Amino acid sequence: MPATERREKVSVRDLRFFYGDNLALKNISLPLYEKHITAFIGPSGCGKSTLLRVLNRMYDLYPRQRAEGEVLLDGENILTPGQDLNLLRAKIGMVFQKPTPFPMSIYDNIAFGIRLYEDIPKSEMDGRVEEALRGAALWNEVKDKLGASGLSLSGGQQQRLCIARSVAIRPEVILFDEPCSALDPISTAKIEELMDELKEEYTIAIVTHSMQQAARVSEYTAFMYLGELIEFGETSKIFTTPADQRTQDYITGRFG
Amino acid sequence: MTDHIVKSFDQELMELGRKIAEMGGIAETMLSDATLALEKGDTDLAQEVIATDPRLDALEREIEDKAILVIARRQPMAVDLRAVISSIRIASDLERIGDLAKNVAKRVVAIEGQFPPQKIVGGVSHMSELALDRLKRVIDAYTQRDVPAAKDVWAHDEEIDQLHNSLFRELLTYMMEDPRNIGFCAHLLFCAKNIERVGDHATNIAETIHYLVTGETITSERPRSSTAVRIADVNG
Repeated sequence: MPATERREKVSVRDLRFFYGDNLALKNISLPLYEKHITAFIGPSGCGKSTLLRVLNRMYDLYPRQRAEGEVLLDGENILTPGQDLNLLRAKIGMVFQKPTPFPMSIYDNIAFGIRLYEDIPKSEMDGRVEEALRGAALWNEVKDKLGASGLSLSGGQQQRLCIARSVAIRPEVILFDEPCSALDPISTAKIEELMDELKEEYTIAIVTHSMQQAARVSEYTAFMYLGELIEFGETSKIFTTPADQRTQDYITGRFG
Repeated sequence: MTDHIVKSFDQELMELGRKIAEMGGIAETMLSDATLALEKGDTDLAQEVIATDPRLDALEREIEDKAILVIARRQPMAVDLRAVISSIRIASDLERIGDLAKNVAKRVVAIEGQFPPQKIVGGVSHMSELALDRLKRVIDAYTQRDVPAAKDVWAHDEEIDQLHNSLFRELLTYMMEDPRNIGFCAHLLFCAKNIERVGDHATNIAETIHYLVTGETITSERPRSSTAVRIADVNG
């Protein structure tokens, strides 16, 4: 299935990333295929989260961090200085490890992001909020309490609210940084089911410490170690017959 | 290969390997005893072989249970996953080999009191030696994770096929000579067929070892003699 009709939505080329003088990503090149899920796995400190943070230029929020090389979104290098970062982050949404709802109503959690980019009448806004909540499989649980605080929801619901918030501004790519590590198995399953649906429309990258999760949700997997991309390939191949010994050692729990 | 961080995982995988080796040993003994019983017309030994089979069946179930438990508890990946799946497959092949040896033993009991010509019995027992040799080598290849040795077993079973083939013809001749021979000849024919299938299971195991170690199935065609194919088709 993944081998046919795949298009590179994002192309990372010779990416190097520095925290000050410290080289954290060493010449990473890999694709994110459109409407597919790509998982990044590797031990802590391998650079997978750093790579995710480069993809929407989150690192720009911090001093002394810089990237070299290219990250092409539909062929256009997003690392160039002239980029409108607000626009970029509207196209490339992000969901974090811990749910981060705003301290406002469920409705406003969604509407807030939309208002940043668009000025639309209330009736249309209602539709957009519903669409986003439906898209994140949360609508049925919250439709009768849209005025309640986002913080009143359970952890799993909060995470889906955050996904709804990303989806609301109609991004093209969604980045998930360990979206389930704070969730119980049922909430995790709901997020994974949701990701399955989301990939019909979006290109998705996920960083996860759970190899099983990577194996379950993704079509492509990248294994990183010490800032290097060790192996990238179809998930079915990586988890059954990885080419590199280091990949094998890591996924089978033999890493020293 | 380096050890797992979780040591009990290593122990569980080793336990599976040990049980396979144990099954292999039992299957070998069953086949060699069944053959010896046939050569000597020893029905007591044949009964012993028959009585051993439940042990092999029980071991196969134990391996299955353990393998399922490992999958549930460890969610093995890559080579570990292949090792677990392979243990289930090999256990099933060895269990079948036990059944085939048991079947030979049953026929020894069935032809008690008849005295088939030693030449033919000798042919069957020679087939059995060849099959036993392949079985031993393939079990060794499994414990050593030795792909070349497994491939060697995999590539060479034409000798058994040829012997089976000539025995088949010879038995036909005996049956045509005297209808009273038909009884034991039919039994011997099945004995030969059973032993030939032990060889096939050894081939299966060799294929599994190749998959276990490399992650790939053997794809090339196996050499087979054309007459053996024809006989096998008629027989099969």
